[in-house]
Amino acid sequence: MKNKLAGFEELSHTADLEIRAWGEDLSSLFSAAADGMIHLSGIEDYEEGFSAVTESISLDAMDYEGLLILFLEELLYRLTEDYMLFSIDSLSVSSEFSLKGKLKGTQIRSYQRDIKAVTYHRLNIRETEQGYEVNIVFDI
Amino acid sequence: MISFTDLKKISDYEWEIPVSYRADMRVPVRIFASESLLKDVARDKSLEQAVNVCSLPGLVDSVKVMPDMHQGYGFPIGGVAATRFPEGVISPGGIGYDINCGVRLLSSRITYQEGKKYLDELATTLNKFCPSGVGTGGHHHFSPREVEDVCRKGSRWAREKGFATEQDLRRTEDGGQLPGADPRFLSPRALKRGRNQVGSLGAGNHFIEIDLVSKVFDEKAARAMGLNEGDLALQIHCGSRGLGHQVCSDYVKSLQSAVAKYGIELPDRELVCAPMDSPEGEAYLAAMACAANYAFANRQVLSHYAREAFESVLAGRVKDWHLHLVYDVAHNIGKIETHQIDGKSMEVCVHRKGATRAFGPGREELPAEYKTIGQPVLVPGSMGTSSWVLRGTSEAMARSFGSSCHGAGRVMSRSQAKKTIRGEDLLKQLKRDGIKVQVSSMSGLAEEAPAAYKDVDAVVETVTSAGIAAKVAQLKPLVVIKG
Repeated sequence: MKNKLAGFEELSHTADLEIRAWGEDLSSLFSAAADGMIHLSGIEDYEEGFSAVTESISLDAMDYEGLLILFLEELLYRLTEDYMLFSIDSLSVSSEFSLKGKLKGTQIRSYQRDIKAVTYHRLNIRETEQGYEVNIVFDI
Repeated sequence: MISFTDLKKISDYEWEIPVSYRADMRVPVRIFASESLLKDVARDKSLEQAVNVCSLPGLVDSVKVMPDMHQGYGFPIGGVAATRFPEGVISPGGIGYDINCGVRLLSSRITYQEGKKYLDELATTLNKFCPSGVGTGGHHHFSPREVEDVCRKGSRWAREKGFATEQDLRRTEDGGQLPGADPRFLSPRALKRGRNQVGSLGAGNHFIEIDLVSKVFDEKAARAMGLNEGDLALQIHCGSRGLGHQVCSDYVKSLQSAVAKYGIELPDRELVCAPMDSPEGEAYLAAMACAANYAFANRQVLSHYAREAFESVLAGRVKDWHLHLVYDVAHNIGKIETHQIDGKSMEVCVHRKGATRAFGPGREELPAEYKTIGQPVLVPGSMGTSSWVLRGTSEAMARSFGSSCHGAGRVMSRSQAKKTIRGEDLLKQLKRDGIKVQVSSMSGLAEEAPAAYKDVDAVVETVTSAGIAAKVAQLKPLVVIKG
C-alpha cells in the first residue's frame, strides 16, 4: 500500500486512532483520508453498487486543514446519522480552500466503531516529494 | 520528548515540569504519580501535551495531571487546568468530545448470598432494558423542542418525567443541571443527533456493571454512602452521546478563528479557546452546559431502566431490590468553581479532561450527607478489575483544584490490544474469574481488555498516598454489560 500514489496506514495511539494518509495531489490526499476513516469505522455490511444515490458536495474553509476536517466530518455525519456510505466519484480541491465533488452513496446496515470526532490535534498537511501527506487523530 | 531528568521531584507522588522547560509555558505542570507510573507515561506524548496546555491564557497555579494520565488529543487524558473567570479562556478540546462523560454508582441492600443465583438473569435483563452498542439509540424519540428541554434541565427533566427521585438529583454534581445551558447555541445537527439517544449507553469504554462491595476501608464514609461490605452495587459509565460530540466538533471548528481574533498563540490547534467573557466563549459555555445536562439525563434514564430490570428480576425473590444513587460524577467537563489561589478566593473555570471532581469536606456544593466526609469519588477500573470508591479531601482542594483520578488509564493502543488479545479468549478468562459479560462486539471487547490499561489499584494508591483522595471501598465486578 505504501508504494501507491495515494493511500493510508493506521498508526499506534494509546487511546484514540491515528492514520497517516498520502496522495499525489490534495484531491487524492482527501480521498485517501476518507478511505482511512471509513476503514476505521469497520463497515462490512452494505448494499453492493454505489449508484443508488448521487450527491454533490461543496465546502469552504479558511485553510486546507480546516477543509479536510469539514470534508471528513460531513462523511462521518452521513455515515452515523443516515447510515450512508459514500464513495468519491470526483473531487477537486482549489487553491482558495474550497472543495467540490460528486459522491455516490449506498446504504449500510451497520458499522463496527463509533468515531466521535476528527480532531485538529497536530493536524498539518505537509508537502512531500511525491505530493502531500497528513496525520489525523480520531477521537473514539 | 520530555525525559525523566526534566522533572523536579516534589515528593514520592508529586513531580513538576517547571516553566523554564519551554518558553511558551505560563504555569508549571504538576504530575501526581509514583515513579513507576511516571515511567509508563513517559512512553507516550501525554507529558508533552500537558506542557502544551500550559500555554493557555488566564491559567492559574499549575496544570495538574493525574496518575491515570495517557496521551489524548490536545489535552492529555487526566489533565486538570483552571483559568481565571471570566477573562481567562475556555477550551472545548480541554473538555473533550464526550462532554460530561461520567460515572455513577448505585448502592443496594442485596447481599451477594441473596443475589448470586440471579446474576445471569440480571445480566440479560439489564442488557435488554438498557440499550447499548454502536449506533444504538434509546427507547425514546424526541422532537427538537423536547431535546432542548432535556438540554436546559438535565436530571430535572428526568425528574419531571418520572425517571428520577429528588435524592437522585441531590446526589448528582450540580443537581444534574449545569447552569447557563442555552439550546440556541446548539447547531441543528447537534439537536438532531440528540433526538433518540437519551437512555442509551453507546459503545467503546462505556459500560454498566454489577459489582460486589468487596472491602470497606472507611466505615463512617461507607455508611453515609449506603455501601455495606458483601452487598451488590451498580455502576453506569457513559456520556452525552452524539449531541455532545457534535457540540465539541462545532466549537473546535468555530473557535479556530477566535484564536486569531484575540491574539492567542497555541502550539496545537486542538487547544483552540476563547476568553469566557467573549461572545465565542459565552456561546461555547452555553452549548457545553446543554451537552452536560443531556449526559446527566442520559445516565439518569439508564438508572431508571436498571432499577426496572432489578425489580423485574428480584421483586418477591429478595427482601429489598431497590437501587439508591450514591453519587454521579463528571469526568470530561468545564466548571466555574471558587478555589483558594495564593491565599485568595478566586472564581476559575476548571477544565477536567479525564479527571474527577473530588471536593473535600465542607464545600457548599455537597449534599448534607457528604458535607462532613467529602464528595464520593468514583474510579471505575478496567473490565474485570477492581473499581474504587474514594472521597475528596482538603488536600485535594489545596493541591489539585479539588480533583482526582478518573480510572485506570490506557497503556496499550487499541490495535495492539486487538493483535495480542482475542475477544473470545478474554471472555473465557473473565468467565473463569466469575465475571459475566454481555457484549455487542468481540473486537470491541479485546480493545477494552484489562491488559490494555494501567493497574487501577496502583493509580488509587498514588492519589491516596498523595493525599488528594482517601479510600472508602473497593468493588469487584460480577456482571459487565458493554456496548
